[in-house]
Amino acid sequence: MTPSPAVLPAAFADLAPFTAWALPTETARNRRRLASDMGEIRAFAEAMLPRLDAIAAHLDGFDLDALPKPEADLFAMMLSVAEIAPAIESYDQPAVCDGYDSARFPAVESHRLRPAF
Amino acid sequence: MNQPVTGAQPARLHDRYPDLGRGPLPVAPYIDPAYWELEKAHVFKKTWLHVGRVEEIPTAGDYFVKDLAACDASIIVVRTRSGAVKAFHNVCSHRLNKVVYEPCGKVRKFFCKFHGWAYDLDGRLTGVPDEAAFEADFDKETHGLTPVSCDVWQGFVFINMDPAPALSLADFMAPMFGGLEGYPFHMFTACYGWSTVVNCNWKMVLDAFQETYHVGYVHGRSIADALEKTDTGSPHPIDGLCGDFHRRLSIAGNPKSVYGNPKAATTGASAAAEALAGSNRPIATAALRLAQGGTKLSFDEVRLPDGLNWTRHPNWAFDINCVFPEFYLSTRPNYFQAYNFRPISHDKTLFEARVYYPEMKTAGGRFYQEYMKVALRDVLLEDLSTLEHTQAAAATGAKDHMVLQDFEIMVRHGAVVVDRLIRAGLEADRARA
Repeated sequence: MTPSPAVLPAAFADLAPFTAWALPTETARNRRRLASDMGEIRAFAEAMLPRLDAIAAHLDGFDLDALPKPEADLFAMMLSVAEIAPAIESYDQPAVCDGYDSARFPAVESHRLRPAF
Repeated sequence: MNQPVTGAQPARLHDRYPDLGRGPLPVAPYIDPAYWELEKAHVFKKTWLHVGRVEEIPTAGDYFVKDLAACDASIIVVRTRSGAVKAFHNVCSHRLNKVVYEPCGKVRKFFCKFHGWAYDLDGRLTGVPDEAAFEADFDKETHGLTPVSCDVWQGFVFINMDPAPALSLADFMAPMFGGLEGYPFHMFTACYGWSTVVNCNWKMVLDAFQETYHVGYVHGRSIADALEKTDTGSPHPIDGLCGDFHRRLSIAGNPKSVYGNPKAATTGASAAAEALAGSNRPIATAALRLAQGGTKLSFDEVRLPDGLNWTRHPNWAFDINCVFPEFYLSTRPNYFQAYNFRPISHDKTLFEARVYYPEMKTAGGRFYQEYMKVALRDVLLEDLSTLEHTQAAAATGAKDHMVLQDFEIMVRHGAVVVDRLIRAGLEADRARA
């Protein structure tokens, strides 16, 4: 499946090289983390970290439950930063060290009380 | 037996509960298919089992189904038109097809796909195609869905396969968890979950979650620094309580960490500053900073019950509440976790993990929540990592006992209670025979 190319809000056009991380589900974000090497993961984190406050402020100008596509993609990229945090802060590798296979521990994306985003 | 203990820590938990014994623990109950059959008959088919939250079925016709291998049953839990929560066997009264195939949904009535029999939300048989072709005395009133005992504690739905449970759910819960009543479970309505079938005995899985001895090792890279360590370098629980069925552990956190300082997310600036000062984790730091003020609910309105943090420890982080037999409920000031370790066979367990956070109104709040959730998921992947190896090792028969230290008393307590109920069940069967 080829995702439709993300076009970010103008103020965040500099993050365009990283739109492959604009993935709407935890499952997809985790899969991308595990398919990336630490160079890619660190480059993404370094690009995003200085922009997180501005991204949060920008997104809070919208209804989070009805974000336009560019904002939704930006939000998904922000959540991808949370996804890669353990790779950087705990494991120094993409996967959990000696961990159980995350493909065997899938997120229940359909739970009634799960936030849309 | 369940009196909370305040003040100084006990010298040894085992000193407080001499009836539990001190010797090594037999391995057989973890690997023996015959023991599993006894557990099914004398434990799982006779006790209250947690199956979900009331928020999953808010309005009439909302239902979910739980397949409980330990009870040889598929159970429908449904919200009726009167607002009650009821449970039925997912078995048609006619020729025994399931009346529901989906794991959850919303219905007006339950329709069997085999011959079209219809049941209302109270389980009454209301429609039988070509009813006149049955015998003249056929009475729909006597052919409803088979009810299953069902009750709710603090928004948690429990079922009991015993049609006349020996203990009501309230009486089952009150001795150990009465002090937890009033905890704002209903306010934490952003739920994330994961599940897996792990090739391991259910007690072995549960045991991995009811002690902190493993934290420094299994979680050495991730959250070990979020727990308060004693001078031995090991994170000891603040206190532990063992009851007739249930058990509790109280755990202290490291306030100089984002994961281990729950106040940072609830009481705002000063606690957050303390957590951030100790953090060498840039993404964690950003998440906590951006989270401030992000929750929809105001924590000023949240009243935590006295039964939480029963020792009043200043660095208390969370309590682990093990609701017998296999429901793990971890209560924190700002969220809770609800895990079930549903046995499938003597060496297979369905692990259903759920975490319930407050809903977030800001992007920063949601980012913090994603950070906490992903960290938790990865910690669970660490917890799960040893289990199948442990089960395989146990099954070799090389060891017939395992050795426990004082702070693994909850492992002992769980095994002792299961064994006690099996003995009592066998005794009762013999008396009847």
